[in-house]
Amino acid sequence: MSAPLLSVQNLRVSFASPDGNVRALDGVALELARGGALAVVGETGSGKTTLARALLGLHPAECVAGSIRLDGDELNRLDEPGWQRVRWRRIALAAQNAGTAFDPVYRAGEQIVEPLRLHLGLSETEAWQRARTLAEQTGLTERHLRAYPHQLSGGEKQRLMLAMALSCQPDLLVLDEPTSGQDMRSRAQMIALLRRLRAQSGLALLLISHDLAAAAALTEQTAVLYAGKVVEAGATRDLLTTPRHPYTWGLLNAYPNMTTTRDLSSIRGQMPDPARPPDGCRFHPRCNQAVDDCRRFEPPLERRGGRLVACHLGGVQTLLQADNLHKTFVTNGHAGPDSLIEAVRGVSLAVLAGEVVGVVGETGSGKTTLGRLLAGLLTPDAGAIYFEGQDIQAVNGAEGKNLRRRIQAIPQDPFESVDPLFTVRQIVRQPLDIQRIQGDRDALVRDALAAVGLPAEGGFLQRRPHELSGGQLQRVVIARALVLEPRLLVADEPVSMLDPSEGARLMNLLKRIQNERGMGMLLISHDLALVRKVADRILVMRGGAIIEQGLSSVVISRPQHDYTRALLLAAPSFNWFPDGSQGADESPDINNTGDQ
Amino acid sequence: MRSNFLKAQTQLPERTFVREARRASGTEGLIGVSLLAVFVTAALFAPLLAPYDPAAFVGRPLERPGAAFLLGTNDVGQDILSELLFGARVSLVVAVGAAVGTVLLGLLVGGVAGYLGGWVDAALMRGVDVLLALPQLPLIILITTLTGAGLAQMTLTMALLFSPGMARIIRAQMFNQRGRAYVKIAQRFGASPLYIFRRHMLPHLAPLLIVGLVTAAGRAAAMEAGLAFLGLGDPSAKSWGLMMRYALNLPGLLLTDRWLWWLLPPGLCITLLILALTFTGMRLEKRLNPGGQSS
Repeated sequence: MSAPLLSVQNLRVSFASPDGNVRALDGVALELARGGALAVVGETGSGKTTLARALLGLHPAECVAGSIRLDGDELNRLDEPGWQRVRWRRIALAAQNAGTAFDPVYRAGEQIVEPLRLHLGLSETEAWQRARTLAEQTGLTERHLRAYPHQLSGGEKQRLMLAMALSCQPDLLVLDEPTSGQDMRSRAQMIALLRRLRAQSGLALLLISHDLAAAAALTEQTAVLYAGKVVEAGATRDLLTTPRHPYTWGLLNAYPNMTTTRDLSSIRGQMPDPARPPDGCRFHPRCNQAVDDCRRFEPPLERRGGRLVACHLGGVQTLLQADNLHKTFVTNGHAGPDSLIEAVRGVSLAVLAGEVVGVVGETGSGKTTLGRLLAGLLTPDAGAIYFEGQDIQAVNGAEGKNLRRRIQAIPQDPFESVDPLFTVRQIVRQPLDIQRIQGDRDALVRDALAAVGLPAEGGFLQRRPHELSGGQLQRVVIARALVLEPRLLVADEPVSMLDPSEGARLMNLLKRIQNERGMGMLLISHDLALVRKVADRILVMRGGAIIEQGLSSVVISRPQHDYTRALLLAAPSFNWFPDGSQGADESPDINNTGDQ
Repeated sequence: MRSNFLKAQTQLPERTFVREARRASGTEGLIGVSLLAVFVTAALFAPLLAPYDPAAFVGRPLERPGAAFLLGTNDVGQDILSELLFGARVSLVVAVGAAVGTVLLGLLVGGVAGYLGGWVDAALMRGVDVLLALPQLPLIILITTLTGAGLAQMTLTMALLFSPGMARIIRAQMFNQRGRAYVKIAQRFGASPLYIFRRHMLPHLAPLLIVGLVTAAGRAAAMEAGLAFLGLGDPSAKSWGLMMRYALNLPGLLLTDRWLWWLLPPGLCITLLILALTFTGMRLEKRLNPGGQSS
């Protein structure tokens, strides 16, 4: 392979601020081949724009350390005249804020002609000639060139910016959020335009964006930036389909698109203060699977299976894995011979750290049995269950106790799952007492009750189950499950006993707690409409086996199995009168626009 | 008018019924507990309350009630009132002893069978069935004759005979509890069998145990009186049953009015004691198990 066009090594950018030294970039390494395309993705504040500006020498020299090589030439030690020769001609930037980048008193065309004359030394006519060609390439016309910036739309200004960036035929084009703030149609046009340009000119692209779809459409390589560090880098397709780093995984899950009907989820917590990054891995306070090492040591960016990942655990962990589970029940028929019910037949599944997996199926599909097997309430006849890599049937003693603590079940019927003679305090405290947890148990009880939105004062603590509503009691049961700080929740129809509005409130609460604590959750329900709101992945069960599984968005929008389609059609919808025989006073277009 | 009439028709009977039932159960409980308190006081403070030593020959035989002997004397000149007061001790000791024994044995057998299930349960329950099938009175007569008449043997035998019923009830309740979701959940948290028994079984058994205790006490008191009357009791412990036996042994007792102060008082005492225990048991059953909530 030939030498890369751009090679960034150990790039550090820091700014002095009243709070101390802010490290916007901390040891970033990137490589981009000639004619290649690299996306740098991350949340706001991850250092993306700082990187773009560093590549063009726009930061004060004393702030930047490390190496930026373009075609083997070291750029970082250049003085300002040296940078002048590089900017526009070799590396050009299409900046993020197209709206304010233009001088309002000059016509658009004049602003393109200006750098052409300045950098390439073209004559007035030559420059205008070239400007027209550029305008054509970027889908603009003569009219746009004669207009003043305020007369152009946002998308047109973005194109104009692109035309300017391309004016000196650079080797590398840095695009900072080229698609942000645009409507979907102009965004699609922009992406098509950039693809065409790349195909025509062999230009290398560095795309700085939080738009993962744009990254997928435009680039072959992607680097994920978090708090000034690259946490994962690799081929765009692999990285976006099988994310390894928990942050990449979270970004993908937070990304809204048309095929996801799930409510928006987010990565818990906030980006750290760049002046005071946390010790160890910078992502650990928000990570769903942080262990002690993550808090103490910074993980190196290491090659793992064709990709660079900076994670002590090598990426997103599989929290729970079940291999080929079988469970058969024997019913002793008093009248006839014993009959066998194969409730679970060869089920394999995995739940990742912080992932919500929905299991749907009708009554008798074996989903409750599966949940009970996974929660350790039943023992499988065959197959193995691994939790955080441990075989849960093989461990016992203290380890087993610890394991039981990390998987908690939320049963369907709250009234059956609490002793009617216990008070709220006794119910929530019970697991702490049994496990002999050290510390102020009553304080933990109050915390857990507060987390589920229940009062934690004396009066409520002394109430007994029959004095509570179904919703309150289910919250108490959830508090009991949370008090041991589990890593995985197995929730079997957690809201089916409640009325719809209380059920929705409770489901929101459960989803919020799951997100905040970064727990994995296995949500078992017959209600596909509910599951698709919260689950990252959906498994469809029928007759004790999984017949379909996949990302929620895919299962909902493109169900493969007839049974899944039937379940989807049977899900409740507001399309109550599909034949149009609704009441006369109802406006008919409600039904006509609602698709099936 | 019409609606008022309907209201009166539909509401009145129910209201009065509920009130009456409540009042009745309150009254019976009050009667039971007060009577019981009288008997317990008599038994505890018998040496202080009794005017004479019940065994001492303090008067002339068959004296009529008077200032010196409130209930007169028996055929050998012992004070009947003093005998009655000390007799309460014998009845209550047997009643309490047999009741506690019944409950403990029942808890042991029923608890083990109910908790373990399987072949242990099957074996224990067959034993229970055998004991339940045997007629109790002939059996206890046989056993007391064979072991010799002593209060301790008698009490233990009664406990043995009464406990199968208790064991069955406890076993059923344990089975009921064992299958409960919350018990399974506690077990998953890592609860020991002892914890499950202490926190989830015993509190639900408590009403059954208390009612069983009182019922067994009543039956034991009645049975002790019967055995003593038949002459199978401990001759050294002069219980009410034994007093009645001696009284009826006097030829021609019923020909005079002597039975009024020698035969009637111990008979009345036994009846009232059993009544007190029964009333208390009924009241406790209602209070501890309102609407069968815990079972």
